[in-house]
Amino acid sequence: MSEMTAEQIWTVQAGEKRSVGVIHIVTLALLIGIGFVVGAFGSISFPLGFGVNFFWTGIAVQQVGSIWFGMWGVLAGIIFPFFSNAVAGTPFYVSAAYIPANFVQAFLPAWAFRYFKADPRLKSGRDYLILFLTMIVSSAFGALWSPLVVLRSFGLLTTESVPLFIWGWFGGNVIAGLVFNFILLKALSAVVIRTTAFVKQWWA
Amino acid sequence: MNKTLLGYVPKESPIYFIHPFVKLYFLLVVSLFPMFITQPEVNLFIMAVILLLMIWSRVDLRILRIYVPVAIAMGWIILLSYTVLGGTHPEFELLAKVLGIKIYWERLRDGVVVYCRILPMIATMVFFLTTSRERDVIVAMRSVRIPFVVTYVFAMALRSSGMVLEDFQIVRQAEQARGFDTTGKSLGYKIRKYVMYMIPLFALSLRRTEEFTNALVARGYAFTGEAAKVKRADYILTHYSFKLHDGILVALISILFIIILTLRYGYNAFSLDSSLLINWLYQILR
Repeated sequence: MSEMTAEQIWTVQAGEKRSVGVIHIVTLALLIGIGFVVGAFGSISFPLGFGVNFFWTGIAVQQVGSIWFGMWGVLAGIIFPFFSNAVAGTPFYVSAAYIPANFVQAFLPAWAFRYFKADPRLKSGRDYLILFLTMIVSSAFGALWSPLVVLRSFGLLTTESVPLFIWGWFGGNVIAGLVFNFILLKALSAVVIRTTAFVKQWWA
Repeated sequence: MNKTLLGYVPKESPIYFIHPFVKLYFLLVVSLFPMFITQPEVNLFIMAVILLLMIWSRVDLRILRIYVPVAIAMGWIILLSYTVLGGTHPEFELLAKVLGIKIYWERLRDGVVVYCRILPMIATMVFFLTTSRERDVIVAMRSVRIPFVVTYVFAMALRSSGMVLEDFQIVRQAEQARGFDTTGKSLGYKIRKYVMYMIPLFALSLRRTEEFTNALVARGYAFTGEAAKVKRADYILTHYSFKLHDGILVALISILFIIILTLRYGYNAFSLDSSLLINWLYQILR
């Protein structure tokens, strides 16, 4: 069997039927489950405060999950931080206010891989670059949104201490992303793209 | 004491006679209280009430040790944020100058206010986690008619996180059996090697996705189409009924919230000017 090209991975072939099935619902649940455990590890082990961490392992589930499973991964990336933050003592409404940051962090890599037809198996330098840039941009948005909008509006930080949290969030996500995202995609994408759970478009 | 995925809950407790929805409602509404209250003593009073509720619920208070570092860490971060990183403000009242760092009264006061705001929010979350079993959350969701598929995903997510934890132990033991040992190694090394757990964890989860799906399809589950429209028996709800005392508690929480909002916006209550604790602190530090 010939190997699929990046174009073929994301394109629905003639005669190929794709629809939302039980497997996608199950995938969502399992991603929330794994994100909860992995994210809680980062939240408890490397806390900076209010759900911000120096090394947030949950980013791997958010970004790799959304590249493989589209909106199901994005949904999981929004939902699981509620659990992982809760067990680390972050108030419910602070977690709720992080939703836009978590959405962008999960959505952007998924969108970029689909739009630019990048190969999730990371076959070329272009694939690496797209992943790296989306990690940087999405984490930068999260890092700006969370301390500037959320923590400032809750009155938890002074203006002068905001940079510490911005860099904490950004660095915590990007470093964890660099450690896990590339290896996970490289090691498992070849298998995942052949499963029925893989999402070519957004929902199926 | 029973271990749940979210924390530890007492084996027997009077709080189990309260409908799970009331506990969820308490979490969602009481967490909002501190946002409308500036006076630290009122927020500390709310926290004390929650601690009393924990004692009444027979929560083993040793569990709180898990959350003490979190509370202390947050306290330090707020203190540093409002003092060391507080900046230079000639318009504020200078209390002291330590190693070139200017400590202002207004900054310190705001730090105390913020910390006392965050403590009851953490306490409310901890109270919920230490009095609610996974099943309680699902019952609460079903009680408010959250769609079956959402509740099912939630239940499955909790179940799968339990399995991920088990898998994590298995993977770790397998790595150790092959001679992998991080004892005495640097943090950077441990972080890099954490990948050795992540890849098998993801791979196992992917395999479980197929197993779960096959099991559900074999049992005739469908979340879309005609089969999804079949009315399902809410077996779990037959074990829980919403009683009069549950209704009274929901009404009390709602009334209390309305009172706080009225006092805050109608009578400018809970302001810092009338705070006994802040005035006392000012007298001491001046």
